[in-house]
Amino acid sequence: MAATADIAAFLKSVKLFREFTDSELLAFAARLDERTLKQGQVLFREGDPGEEMFVVQKGTTIISKVVSGRVEQVLARATAGDFFGEMSLFDRSPRSATIQAETDVALLVLDREHLNLLIEVNPRAAAAFFHSLVYVFIERLRASGELVAEITRWGLEATGLDMESR
Amino acid sequence: MTDAAPPRRAKLELLVRRDGDETGFDLRTVGSAAAWVKMRPQRVPSDHFELAEVTSRVDRQASFILKNTQTERFLMLSEPERFLWDQMDGRASVQDIATAYVLRYGQFDFDMIPGLIKKLQRAQLLSLTPASRLRYALARHRERRLLRAAEATLTALERVNISSRRVQPFFHGAYRWGGGLLFTPVALVVCLVLAVVGLVAGVKLWREADVAAGFGASPLLAILTVKLLFLFTLAAHQIVHGLALVHYGRRVREFGFTFLHGFLPTFYVDVTDIFMASRRARVVTAVSGTLVHLVFGSLWFMLALRAPHGGFVQAFAAASGMLQWQAFVLALYPFCFVEMDGYHVLVDVLGVPTLKHDAMAYVKSLFSGGRAPVSRREAGLWIGYVVLSVVSIAAFLVFNVWVVIHATR
Repeated sequence: MAATADIAAFLKSVKLFREFTDSELLAFAARLDERTLKQGQVLFREGDPGEEMFVVQKGTTIISKVVSGRVEQVLARATAGDFFGEMSLFDRSPRSATIQAETDVALLVLDREHLNLLIEVNPRAAAAFFHSLVYVFIERLRASGELVAEITRWGLEATGLDMESR
Repeated sequence: MTDAAPPRRAKLELLVRRDGDETGFDLRTVGSAAAWVKMRPQRVPSDHFELAEVTSRVDRQASFILKNTQTERFLMLSEPERFLWDQMDGRASVQDIATAYVLRYGQFDFDMIPGLIKKLQRAQLLSLTPASRLRYALARHRERRLLRAAEATLTALERVNISSRRVQPFFHGAYRWGGGLLFTPVALVVCLVLAVVGLVAGVKLWREADVAAGFGASPLLAILTVKLLFLFTLAAHQIVHGLALVHYGRRVREFGFTFLHGFLPTFYVDVTDIFMASRRARVVTAVSGTLVHLVFGSLWFMLALRAPHGGFVQAFAAASGMLQWQAFVLALYPFCFVEMDGYHVLVDVLGVPTLKHDAMAYVKSLFSGGRAPVSRREAGLWIGYVVLSVVSIAAFLVFNVWVVIHATR
């Protein structure tokens, strides 16, 4: 297990926590759990219930969504400093995608209880956290738009459909 | 002013889970271009269009007017476009159609097929079927356990594809270091001599040897070993095709191993570049690979003749020789409904690249009563092909039964 100071040092490089002071990071890091995944291991599947979000400390995970049968579309990869799972943490809905380790992975786990504690104990740090979260969401919305456009383009190219002259 | 770079082709990254494995998966990147060439364009049903020929009074060139009877839209097609239209039956992929075009016209215009497909789509004369009929039928009946298992097995086997696209240097080197000798008159003479000697040895063996006795107590295992060894000579067959390409200054694009149609283990080589060469080059490329089986078969028969009478070596060599010569005949004989080397030579010589498709469709129409209007020559060709193929397959089966009876008597 990594020491709290090491986790705090790592969190400093994560976008979500860049507004945190050193002491806030140390206090926050002490409350995080750690989890490891072996290559190929599934963390959770689309449709599973979820109460936690995860920050990738080391390694790469694949975020995918079922298309049909055993085929899934790779939506993105999460590498060191990226996070995922926050949607179920906030809206309590089932997981919207499957997370699987592409390599051996180390994760930091933040559950709802810890998040509520952060809001109560350190509202300034919590505000900074949510502020950064909005920026990441904007980035992801842009990336999702790009992905939708890419998939549409793929469909048009693969079928040879000429929509311009219809 | 500079030309803008062409837009990057879109790609999808898919994760495909392995059957029965909780964590196993494969990642596959699928380019839109790869999907496009596998697409099987299908023209609308025959009662939805009319086709009329018009000949120019100026240059006497034939053109065709295609009418969508549902939308009252008209299209003018050139003769090559009409040829492409005829291929769009939902069974031939864009890749197959392009191949047929090259065989028919000896050249290829890379914009013609996409251009025609767009034109036909605009006139609503085309529907698109993206997958093979067998896979489509299996997918529709997944609730049946047996068919689901068949689909899963086919999918698993189809995934087995060990191949490389960087094989040109290998073939070039092999050609330089002796492979080129295969395409000399001396090699042809050696091949003919071996064929004669092999034939004589085969006839002697047929009269004298007791092949079944030589396999002893485990004939099944012996036959399986013969088949496994034969599989490796298929690699030699494909390598010689590749060397022929190098001989004619063309490029070998790919070499690999896969399961043909999902169940038939085979090696393959991409020889499509030979379509750009002369007809002679195409014929030599097709025939040269099959000669591998003739040569190996002769060598096996010669070994069998020299081996101790009634022993395992004689039986093994004789069975291997028989298998090689059967492969030679099957590969070169065009009338068996299988599109192998001999078939490709035949369609190339006849200039009818879709012979099998057309013949099957015509004969089917004779039985269903909806006979398509064709010339007497075409009708003769289609019926001749189907009849010869049916008779040949029956004869092949009878011959094999007879061989087994003879060997076990």
